[in-house]
Amino acid sequence: MDGAVPEFDPRPPIGALSYRPDTVCDGWSTEALDLRLASVRGYAHRAEGRPREDDAAAAWDEHTRTVVFAVADGVSDARQPHIGSQLACRSAVDEMLGQVRASGGFVTDWPKLLSTVHWQLRVQARRLLHQEDATVDETADLLATTLVAGAATPTPAGVRVALVSVGDSGVWLIKNGALYPLQGGKTVGADGLVSSAVRPLPYVPAEVVPFEYVLEPPCVLLIGTDGFGDPVGDGRGVVAQLLCRELERPVPPLGFAHLLDFYRETFDDDRTLVALWPRGGAAGGPR
Amino acid sequence: MMESNRGHLLPIYVLADESGSMTEHIDDLNDGLRSLHQALLGEPMAAAKVRFSVLGFSDDVVERVHLVDLRSANEFPLLRTRGMTSYLAAFEDLINRIPGDVNALKSEGYQVHRPAVFFLSDGLPNHGEDWQDAHRRLTDRSVTLGAPNIIACGIVDADAQTIDQVATEPQFGFVANKGVDVGGAIAKFCTALTKSVISSGRSLGSASPQLVVDKPEGFTVAIDVI
Repeated sequence: MDGAVPEFDPRPPIGALSYRPDTVCDGWSTEALDLRLASVRGYAHRAEGRPREDDAAAAWDEHTRTVVFAVADGVSDARQPHIGSQLACRSAVDEMLGQVRASGGFVTDWPKLLSTVHWQLRVQARRLLHQEDATVDETADLLATTLVAGAATPTPAGVRVALVSVGDSGVWLIKNGALYPLQGGKTVGADGLVSSAVRPLPYVPAEVVPFEYVLEPPCVLLIGTDGFGDPVGDGRGVVAQLLCRELERPVPPLGFAHLLDFYRETFDDDRTLVALWPRGGAAGGPR
Repeated sequence: MMESNRGHLLPIYVLADESGSMTEHIDDLNDGLRSLHQALLGEPMAAAKVRFSVLGFSDDVVERVHLVDLRSANEFPLLRTRGMTSYLAAFEDLINRIPGDVNALKSEGYQVHRPAVFFLSDGLPNHGEDWQDAHRRLTDRSVTLGAPNIIACGIVDADAQTIDQVATEPQFGFVANKGVDVGGAIAKFCTALTKSVISSGRSLGSASPQLVVDKPEGFTVAIDVI
């Protein structure tokens, strides 16, 4: 995009406990939504031989046609952040599916969702440490991760999206050819300086207020980690313009991953993005 | 319209003691800066995120390099010993210099991380100077835009207590162990610092998230030897 990509051979991940692919992508459609998902290892991690620390997951409930999704960014100073992000995404999606099925299409207990992810991380830390218990701090040392988790439910009024965010992963909207930050992302301090410090899981915020949005065509909802959010910035730069142009309509899943794998100088973190395109026509409601 | 997110940069300042008491060690320091340059050239993605200034101080401050992108720098100018050791002059210079640098980078469309200062000295400042007040103003985030994290490295027979006072966190004060390659240790530390600042870390609910750095090889945390 700008700045030449430094020449290097991507190195295999060092110290990963099991197979960890450089890139994962997925894509499918329901009657109400088109979904694309990709998680791409950053250029710096490729050069250093670190595993992709981001992860994502998505699933749907065929009875209510609700799509649930999760995006997570393992915190780099944790020892096994890739395990933390993967576990957070999988356990969040499982818990959301359970709530969606029990309630007829909605996530009804957000604190329980975060509590479930918290304890999944604690139990995994206990296993990895071969201890009877792992404290919150010990778990954070090992598995700290951000998380955005939510559900998109078709209703007569459009696709209702509700989600919660812990850490600096965020949510953006493409509407009328422009990209807008909606929720989360990095905050700049009062003095205008940026910080890469986040308050991640397993630390659970005292107050959990879900963000809600009714998604109507031709909007596109984007849920991503800071590796995506940082270069997008306030939505007015060249990266945002590129994405607005290319994501006007759903692209093939491999093309979606390729689009996310752009190089721009100093922006070399892992990138993960879930995109939701609401389909036109009557969406219907939960059955 | 200037794009507001051209990249994220970390301004790093090496503030090196050029006073007469450093005479026997100035060559080591210059070797260290060359090592640092080479180390960062071997890490082009880390180097892209850093802008580097080298300042020599004695009675005053001489700017040797200003916010340089090390990938395009040929060679560092040499530090030279001269005069006395005015910490007051050094910190007053940073009070004036850093806000201007931060604003200049921001006006170019960069987002700026909190600057880091590597302070290298034998820890023997001029007697009778109130450098502590200037240090307080420099590091007060409500007073100085871009109030830096200061990593203080004591070399030669450094006064550990002074080094500890200069460091902005107890874990940022170091004194070199006898016989250590000071320059090489600082080079390794500097690249680790850059990665630490740029990559994500945990903020435990603090309003001012802390920089986390590991102890450089060959150094002892200053507070341990007071």
